[in-house]
Amino acid sequence: MSARKPIRTGRPDVKPDAPSHVKGVKEGNSTGNYDKQDGHLPDGRSTARRSTGINPGKHDPIDPGMPNLSPA
Amino acid sequence: MTTRTAGRGQETGTERELVEMSWDPITRIIGNLGIYTKIDFNNREVVECRSTSSLFRGYSVFMKGKDPRDAHFITSRICGICGDNHATCSIYAQNMAYGVKPPPLAEWIINLGEAAEYMFDHTLFQDNLVFVDYCEQMVKQTNPSLLRRAETTEAPNARIHGYRTIADVMRAFNPFEGDVYREALQVSRVTREMCCLMEGRHVHPSTLYPGGVGTVATPQVFTDYLARLLRVLDFVKKAVPMNDDLFDFFYEALPGYEEVGRRRVMLGCWGAFQDPAAVDYDYRNMADWGRKMFVTPGIVLDGELLTTNLVDINLGIRILLGSSYYDDWQSEETFVTHDPLGNPVDQRHPWNQTTLPKPQKRDLEGGNYSWVMSPRWYDDRTGDHLALDTGGGPLARLWATALAGLVDTGTVRATGGSVEINLPKSRALPEMSFEWKVPRWANTIERNRARVYFVAYAAAMACYFVEQAMGEVRAGRTQVFSDFDVPDEAIGCGFHEAVRGVLSHHMVIRDGKIANYHPYPPTPWNASPRDSFGTPGPYEDAVQGLPIFEENGPDSFKGIDIMRTVRSFDPCLPCGVHMYLGDGKVLQQVHSPTFGAAG
Repeated sequence: MSARKPIRTGRPDVKPDAPSHVKGVKEGNSTGNYDKQDGHLPDGRSTARRSTGINPGKHDPIDPGMPNLSPA
Repeated sequence: MTTRTAGRGQETGTERELVEMSWDPITRIIGNLGIYTKIDFNNREVVECRSTSSLFRGYSVFMKGKDPRDAHFITSRICGICGDNHATCSIYAQNMAYGVKPPPLAEWIINLGEAAEYMFDHTLFQDNLVFVDYCEQMVKQTNPSLLRRAETTEAPNARIHGYRTIADVMRAFNPFEGDVYREALQVSRVTREMCCLMEGRHVHPSTLYPGGVGTVATPQVFTDYLARLLRVLDFVKKAVPMNDDLFDFFYEALPGYEEVGRRRVMLGCWGAFQDPAAVDYDYRNMADWGRKMFVTPGIVLDGELLTTNLVDINLGIRILLGSSYYDDWQSEETFVTHDPLGNPVDQRHPWNQTTLPKPQKRDLEGGNYSWVMSPRWYDDRTGDHLALDTGGGPLARLWATALAGLVDTGTVRATGGSVEINLPKSRALPEMSFEWKVPRWANTIERNRARVYFVAYAAAMACYFVEQAMGEVRAGRTQVFSDFDVPDEAIGCGFHEAVRGVLSHHMVIRDGKIANYHPYPPTPWNASPRDSFGTPGPYEDAVQGLPIFEENGPDSFKGIDIMRTVRSFDPCLPCGVHMYLGDGKVLQQVHSPTFGAAG
């Protein structure tokens, strides 16, 4: 390409300073989302279901008194 | 804070022969730092100094209109070495604006990541960059007689660090070749890994968010951190006594060296390491949870602790102009008239600042000469606008924490006049204790000495944090995120310590978007030019009146004492120094890293 011809680009469909959030679109951080997800217990603890949907019960501790540490 | 007009032993009004000398750029800083001096070689004194910055960033301009939840990802890019400090500070400001309190484990994880960052950055800067100015190769060129004396001076703590004489210590600092230089590179790699374990990535964290973190809190992640920490402890235990030996030698061998870089004790620390049991990110309780931080916020003036109240600290911040390339915003919009406690907020406060850049020619003789503004702290008792410095970060942190006497974790205890640091047994060395005592001066040597003590402080704190985090995990409390909604209208402020000192982020949200955002990192405080009252900034103040101990004359002058002083403030990594002599002779010195190889 010669130096005089600029690189051909498409028409920009967003302004550089457009905010990344559009009102009305759901936000992952919204209140209530944490509780909706599986494996989170109300007291801040969690179960293996937090990490996996495949036989999660098998990854829970064998003794219910043990801390339930979900796989990473 | 005064500009000297006469040198030592010289009567006022007599003629002085001044040589202009400049170092521009001293690089890796927010903008390019240049130091312009006038030196009286006959009286061996720097008479005048101006610090300039030739780069405009404009974060406060382009943050407007952005989604506030992006603030920490964007502002992290302010710095290529302490980006995670910016991210953390921005998250503190966002937490306040959104009214969200992260779970305790999230706070411990952030604290662990930040502790690793302090260890990483201070080690890299101290051993790989500051000590180039103190290494054998450099001292041989600037102060040969000092090196001769170092060869015969036994190092008092030789049995701990293994270097028999002070000259051996200096040889260990030689770039590329010295043992300390090379070991520090390894340590800074390991400490970066520790930061990555907690924050996902270094320097721009990927797992820190308002409301918590995304780090999956498994026992493995904390044991990985601990295993690395114990390696680092070995290095720290040797570094502290070695630094003490070196710096004590300078005082002893060069009487009067305490005057180098000395300025009035005017230190600011905005606090670091939140205590999850206390912090709720509510501005109205900020004084209380601020005092519970594991590095106490405070302002030290002439050796006395003025305040530890973050609300007072916040309301006292004033951004002055005077020698900066900006138009005044006095008649612009006032975003925040009163804080949530009802206190009036000044138009010169960051919440109300409007950045109006006005590029122009640099005028070092009474005109504007820097892109850096002049942040000051308004002391309402005296009406002074104090040009606080951070002492490179550690000096202010340790000083404020020591005087406040509030921190006591077992591993670290502030006594009111000192800070005791207890490090547990590590791989090679038994448990050891250090005590950082409040020094007599705020000068170049003490800024550098405090740095190594703060590495020990951060390491001792990390030991405490990792225990607390493991306690949470063992109890099964693995929650690391609290959800929140972004309000349409809100304000927030975050106070933290970047590695090299005070860091604040002030945010105003309107219509769910950022209406105003002003980060104030440490370097604008330290590198600020003369303000509208004519008060010089800390670099200028510390270099003005500086006695010269270098043995070279004007022709081969390296300005080592000036460079040591400016670098003691940790103006990020000084990798190249281009020196200009007033008579038109240009010297180019490559300072590091090729210095050792070429020398």
